[in-house]
Amino acid sequence: MALALEMKGITKYFSSTDVQANDNVNLTVEAGEVLALVGENGAGKTTLMNILYGLIKPDSGEIIINGEEVQIGHPDDAIKHGIGMVHQHFKLVPSFTVAQNIILGMEPNKAGFLSPKEENKVVKDLADKFNLPVDPKAQIRDLPVGMQQRVEILKVLLREAKILILDEPTAVLTPQEVKELMEVVRDLAKMGYSVIFITHKLIEVMEVADRVSVMRAGKNVGSKKVSDTNIPDLARMMVGREVLLRVKKDTIQRGKPVFEAKDVSVSDVHGLAAISHVSFDVHEGEIVGLAGVSGNGQTELVEVISGMRPLDGGKVFLNDQDITQANVRDRRNAGVAHIPEDRMEVGLNLQTNLDENLIISRYNQSEFSKFGFLLSKSIHRFAETVVNSFSISAAKPGEDISMLSGGNLQKVVVGRELSGNPSFIIANQPTRGLDVGSIEFVHKTLIEERDRGAGVLLVSVELEEIMALADRILVLFRGQIQGELEAKTATEEEVGILMAGGKLSDLVSKQPESGKESK
Amino acid sequence: MKNKKFQKILDAILIPVLAILSGLVLMGVLIAITGKPVWESYGVLFSKAFGCEKASNCAIITTLERATPIMLTGLSAVVAFRSGLFSIGQEGQYLMASVVAGWLGYSIHLPNGVHQIVILLACMAVGAAYGFIPGVLKVKLGVNELLSTIVLNSIATLFIEYMVQFPMRADVSTTAHSPIIDVTAQLPTFMAGSKWGVGFVIAVIAVIAVYIYLWRTKSGYEQRMAGQSKRFALYGGVPSDKAAIRAMIISGALAGLAGAVEVMGVHRRIMTGFSTGLGFDGVTAAILGQTHPFGVFIVSILFAGLKLGAQLGLQLKLGIPRELGGTIIGFIILFVAASKFYEGNIDRIRAWFKKPDKQKAKGGGD
Amino acid sequence: MTGFFSVFTVELLNSGIRLATPIILAALGGALCNKAGVLNLALESMMLMGAFVGIVAAYFIGNSYLGLLVAMAAGGLLGLLFALLYHKYDVDLVILAIAFNLIIQELTVYIMRVMFGNVGSWSDPSISRIPDIEIPLIKDIPVLGDILSGYNIIVYFSWAITIVMFLVLYKMKFGRHIRAVGENREAAETVGINAVRIQTMALVISGVLSGLGGAFLSIGHLKLFTRNMSNGRGWTAVAAALFGANHPIGTFLASLFFGVTEAFAVRIQNVTDLPPNLVELLPNFATLIVLISIALREKLRENNARRRFRAELRAEEQQNTAS
Repeated sequence: MALALEMKGITKYFSSTDVQANDNVNLTVEAGEVLALVGENGAGKTTLMNILYGLIKPDSGEIIINGEEVQIGHPDDAIKHGIGMVHQHFKLVPSFTVAQNIILGMEPNKAGFLSPKEENKVVKDLADKFNLPVDPKAQIRDLPVGMQQRVEILKVLLREAKILILDEPTAVLTPQEVKELMEVVRDLAKMGYSVIFITHKLIEVMEVADRVSVMRAGKNVGSKKVSDTNIPDLARMMVGREVLLRVKKDTIQRGKPVFEAKDVSVSDVHGLAAISHVSFDVHEGEIVGLAGVSGNGQTELVEVISGMRPLDGGKVFLNDQDITQANVRDRRNAGVAHIPEDRMEVGLNLQTNLDENLIISRYNQSEFSKFGFLLSKSIHRFAETVVNSFSISAAKPGEDISMLSGGNLQKVVVGRELSGNPSFIIANQPTRGLDVGSIEFVHKTLIEERDRGAGVLLVSVELEEIMALADRILVLFRGQIQGELEAKTATEEEVGILMAGGKLSDLVSKQPESGKESK
Repeated sequence: MKNKKFQKILDAILIPVLAILSGLVLMGVLIAITGKPVWESYGVLFSKAFGCEKASNCAIITTLERATPIMLTGLSAVVAFRSGLFSIGQEGQYLMASVVAGWLGYSIHLPNGVHQIVILLACMAVGAAYGFIPGVLKVKLGVNELLSTIVLNSIATLFIEYMVQFPMRADVSTTAHSPIIDVTAQLPTFMAGSKWGVGFVIAVIAVIAVYIYLWRTKSGYEQRMAGQSKRFALYGGVPSDKAAIRAMIISGALAGLAGAVEVMGVHRRIMTGFSTGLGFDGVTAAILGQTHPFGVFIVSILFAGLKLGAQLGLQLKLGIPRELGGTIIGFIILFVAASKFYEGNIDRIRAWFKKPDKQKAKGGGD
Repeated sequence: MTGFFSVFTVELLNSGIRLATPIILAALGGALCNKAGVLNLALESMMLMGAFVGIVAAYFIGNSYLGLLVAMAAGGLLGLLFALLYHKYDVDLVILAIAFNLIIQELTVYIMRVMFGNVGSWSDPSISRIPDIEIPLIKDIPVLGDILSGYNIIVYFSWAITIVMFLVLYKMKFGRHIRAVGENREAAETVGINAVRIQTMALVISGVLSGLGGAFLSIGHLKLFTRNMSNGRGWTAVAAALFGANHPIGTFLASLFFGVTEAFAVRIQNVTDLPPNLVELLPNFATLIVLISIALREKLRENNARRRFRAELRAEEQQNTAS
């Protein structure tokens, strides 16, 4: 088949962060082909695609579309050459209808006046043509995520894109929605469209792609036909060495319950249930993994447990004490530690120095303040202790932290939260966006805390992370606990079913012997 | 270590200094358009702002006297801004306190020393109360503090005019003013013929106190964290709402102090047209002073000098309208805010000096 | 008592509409900027600029209508400068507005004094006020004719522009693009809408309208210019846009409310012997109450949602214990 796209020798260096994001990358896509682009966070996938879409200018390299070299300096150029991008975070106007969003920027009009009827018809015809049914009059803010994504795809198709870039399209979808998306992608390929499917989930690669290109440290380390490769092979290419997904972890006896949630319910801003009737507990010496597709109430639940958000129904207990009415500070003083999902905006204050970041939850203690005055010497000493015991080599007491890398920032958060031997630790997506080394550090530290006797609630959307660390697995789906599994005996398939809102009984019939890693 | 600190200070003042220089250049242009002598204007401006013609008649003394209320309202703005609230209610708090100072100055009679302290405390309390209103409206209801303080300023302006013209009006007067306050209510001055006195000392003490409050106390830490990142403060268990209201109370008290000092030390009564935008000068001093008490100290003196020089020098000596001073201050704020313009050029100059290094680094990478 | 109630007359509405006109114009501009996602707190300065430039131009050209046009151009230019500084140099919008307001307030007086000598306010007998126009047919309708007719062209223009802005925002392509930029700038930009240009246009239009509003003060209403002539009306306009939820019609009605309140205060001075300073407090209290009610409206919306959810939970619980 003919080459739809060829990228040759793409190189990009970011001087501000000193990162060689793309290093002489070559990439080809045929017409009617699904190419999976895989790689770890920071491998350069996004930079490469942003270059293709005209959002970033490369230092060197050329882009050839249908045999012709083209210059793409702006997304408008990309659109003109038939390239369309569905971003990970949708670019939709929430108060506009489906039709208004799809047709935005190219509205049919008479002397500037709009015709809603015509707009709805154009969108209806488009949806019919690609067999992607949508309600043109529905408002975006009322639609589920999967439907919003469909709107994004239609938006790209209306602009006559022939090459579609899908940036981590499955990250926010339920397994059922993922399945539907896969069908859509296959159908588009059959119609002659080329699709670049960015992901780091290798199972998806095997399911949907014809060919796969692996990126590592800014380089394309190999392109293969999917039929010629397998998951372990791809994983090795991605990481550059044998992947140790299993963390070394001894079995220990768990102790008494340290945290308990009883029938907790919370509403969102629209008065709809974000969390409804959730009950669970976490014991000493135990890591409870809370799995689930993102957006199923994890954020709200963690905020309720940490005291950042009031709950609407139910009670929470810490060491048998009712802490439902306690504020954040009281809970922290009682031994709750919290590693938040957003370290830049929530976990740290990048506008101030290391010392002031480290005392945020303990400046009231007599060790750090007396008669209303801060004791800067002991604060400084504390900063030195944290830096040393968590070997945060890049951070210096008394100095700004805004220039630290993501991994080091997370070390600051982890160091602060875990000094002082908390009895209950909430770790919400503690390794998101980190490099392999930092991930290992966080995992090792959490297990050490468990072994010390702390109870850990690990919230993660990465199934592998849950499987590797947790002793017990809870699955959150649409604000409810969909099921509970013992980690030792649980399979990824079982957790996946629960994440999709299914029941374990659905699986029983085809259960025997297929549970292991035979895929 | 020391070198680093020095570098930090240099970085902090570089932009304001460049902005002030640009403002002065612009001033020359605006004067040149009117056909007045530019160089002479600069000379007159500076001698009437900071010069000393005779030992007994130093312009700098008057500048320091004029800087006092700006310094205090500037500190008031710093405390408010550092809690994340963009309150520009200094003018209103200052005026309300001025009414109280004017009234307590003649209506009660206390021994020297006691009288002044009572008035100072009362003014701080009134300013604090007038700052508490927008603070609590913001925190409890979410009322936009910028707009509410603007309205409160205008209410205070009308209120002081009413008080001067009716209840507090002295009998014998053509233009409305209140009676002169008792001698026991006046703040001592340092030298005869000048009003520069204890008020300035109070302002300097306030500069240091605000610095200590913001960076050395628990409360200051709380309000700064809440001001810089609300989510971070919530996450860490900082009571941000309480911190914000406390900041507004302190901010109001400082502006109230400005009113007290101005009435007790300078005017010794209140009169019609008392509101001349001193509170707003504080806001500008805080912005230009990098919302830092030491920055406010320097900038308020510069502002006072610029205004005094424009009034006594440019207007009286050369016939150039004194509004030029305010205009230039406005432009200086604009230039500071548009610091990206300078930064871009500074970076370009730096890059030009460092060019050889950079090329080497790049070459090594290949 | 009869003296007090004699305030409520057709003349109250007449002067309310007149006093509301500059606020309507500036507030519509502010609402447009809010819709485009760019906060414009410099309405006050644009208004003052229009007031000054308008009367000066009318004096030199000898035609007040042309003075209006020049005032609009001056306001628009200020809006353009605002947009340039915001987009090119990333200046904080609030600080930018504060600087603009201060500069224009001082600069207008500076230029006035340089040009016309050391005066506190300036006027010239050669300047003619924009004349009032009676609308044929409508003026003959009893009562309504007195309310709707007999204003100068700026007043009628402010009504027309309210309707035009409604049509543009909700029925036209350009308006939809404005709303898209304001609600999700990235969404608009990825489909090729130039957000910078849209926001710049919104700022320029708000400058044009505010400039006209200012000119209404100096040549449409009073025939003179004084220091700080806009006297906080730009800020009232900001509040009116918020109160009207940035919808043109809502903004118009909110501005009208402020105008009538002001007229009421003026009238009450004529019929009672209350001190003017105290009566002038009235519009200020009205603004404060409006600001509080805007905040309350938001707060209640959130709380209601939560209260409803809690009630549902309780009902559920009772059902469970009952069964």
